[in-house]
Amino acid sequence: MRGEERRKVTCIVCPLGCEATVTIKNERVIKVENLECPRGEDYVLTEIEAPKRDFFTTVQVRGAGVPVCPVRATQPVPKEKLLECSKELAKITVDAPIKIGDVIVENLLGLGVDIIAARNLEEMEKKENR
Amino acid sequence: MIEEDVEVAVIGGGAAGLAAAIRAKETGAEKVTILDRNSELGGILPQCIHTGFGLHHFRENLTGPEYIARFIERARSLKVECKLDTMVLRVTPEKEVVAVNSPDGLMTLKSRAIVLAMGCRERPRGALGIPGTRPAGIFTAGTAQRLMDVEGYLPGKRIVILGSGDVGLIMARRFAMEGAKVEAVVEILPYPGGLARNLVQCLEDFQIPLLLKHTVTFIHGAERVEAVTTARVDEGGSPISGTERMIRCDTLILSVGLIPENELSEAAGIVLDPATGGPVVNEHMETSIPGIFACGNVVHVHDLVDYVTETGELAGESAANYAMGKLPPLARKMVLKAGQNVRYVVPQIVSGEEPVALFLRVRKPLRNVKVKIRSLTMPIRVVRPPETVVLRLTEKRLGKLEKEKELTINIEEEP
Repeated sequence: MRGEERRKVTCIVCPLGCEATVTIKNERVIKVENLECPRGEDYVLTEIEAPKRDFFTTVQVRGAGVPVCPVRATQPVPKEKLLECSKELAKITVDAPIKIGDVIVENLLGLGVDIIAARNLEEMEKKENR
Repeated sequence: MIEEDVEVAVIGGGAAGLAAAIRAKETGAEKVTILDRNSELGGILPQCIHTGFGLHHFRENLTGPEYIARFIERARSLKVECKLDTMVLRVTPEKEVVAVNSPDGLMTLKSRAIVLAMGCRERPRGALGIPGTRPAGIFTAGTAQRLMDVEGYLPGKRIVILGSGDVGLIMARRFAMEGAKVEAVVEILPYPGGLARNLVQCLEDFQIPLLLKHTVTFIHGAERVEAVTTARVDEGGSPISGTERMIRCDTLILSVGLIPENELSEAAGIVLDPATGGPVVNEHMETSIPGIFACGNVVHVHDLVDYVTETGELAGESAANYAMGKLPPLARKMVLKAGQNVRYVVPQIVSGEEPVALFLRVRKPLRNVKVKIRSLTMPIRVVRPPETVVLRLTEKRLGKLEKEKELTINIEEEP
């Protein structure tokens, strides 16, 4: 049929890793084949129409023993925004002490997700009890 | 020389050692001491800044540093003693741990029980024998990860990665996200070494080519890596002449396997399993020397940290019980042997009396198989070499298990 496109998508919901054949028309999924379960169908739909990814990177930090602190988004972000998110966070420098869960950026790029610290940095500086 | 009596000495403060120390305390051991050569606890986890940790253990999707911070905090609140920047030199069959650090000098910990949790090391370039020069710009994946995500350096701008295991794939994504160009991931086997999830999210998302049945045959460059030569390999894994191609790059990342770190175990006379590279253990995670236990990647290389934590807890509980004189010997010793399509199984010795989780690695990818231990049969939809097969021998399954001195585990394809 005209305007139809077929694409292969590997399902990652479970270890089976089905390779689905997806038929797309006007940027909408109209048929999904070669999947073994309905969970896979949801995944494939999202993957074609609005794919999302976990986002994590590092930001620069002052006053800790290490120069960077790992951070992550509280929710997955649209796949096509990953690099933009990374570039945005490259501009940021924070000051120690930092605790896991501290909000580093609120509502990153208007995506409705916050960026939080993933490492305690003050504690890393103290020597352990010997 | 300092001498100290401890109930449980834990060698290594990563995911396995922390879980063992915490559980040993919770089980009732009073003095539990972790020794680690690094200056902070956590092992490899602080540098694993990607998500996917804790899905089993906490039912949450955490980064590595978040996952391990929970254990570090728990260990502190239970007053587990930690000797950091401390190198363990020797473990004896009499359960003495000889170690050294700057402030204390040489010390001996006389322990009632020991938990080995030294983890694993990366296979280096020297183990591969890749011809070429010796320029700067060749890193193992874990070293590159530490440089990038703890120390804040981008190790290169044009990258080739050798090996498609999960660490290599994860580093491919990190390089791409931080503005470097990943020219290719090169894999000698006909199938990828990493999880499907990582193939999609680390390679496909960034249009990074995966060259299966290929290897790196030469490294070029005087001061710094300038290029690598890749070639297709034949069925036996040898490069095929005439298929060479030069790829310009400034950095080669090696992600070519992890090796359990067992110098201490070997020197103590602990029996190792050539298939795993780690100690032979029984269902209590006890090695061939009574009172010395082992857990995590020093036993065999795990795919998920959640499983490392699980074996750490088991080893810690067993060690505490042994130290308190409350660990009965196995009712019977049945040796598990890796059979058809099974590379190894851990633990290698079980009693058949207590529920136990068996961790298996398979030799090749297969679908719709049956795991068979004599007449006990368990169906599995799909098995792949990079993913641990976890068989939980429940009471019900143990009821069907023959009690023999030796049992072979086979993975059979449907006829």
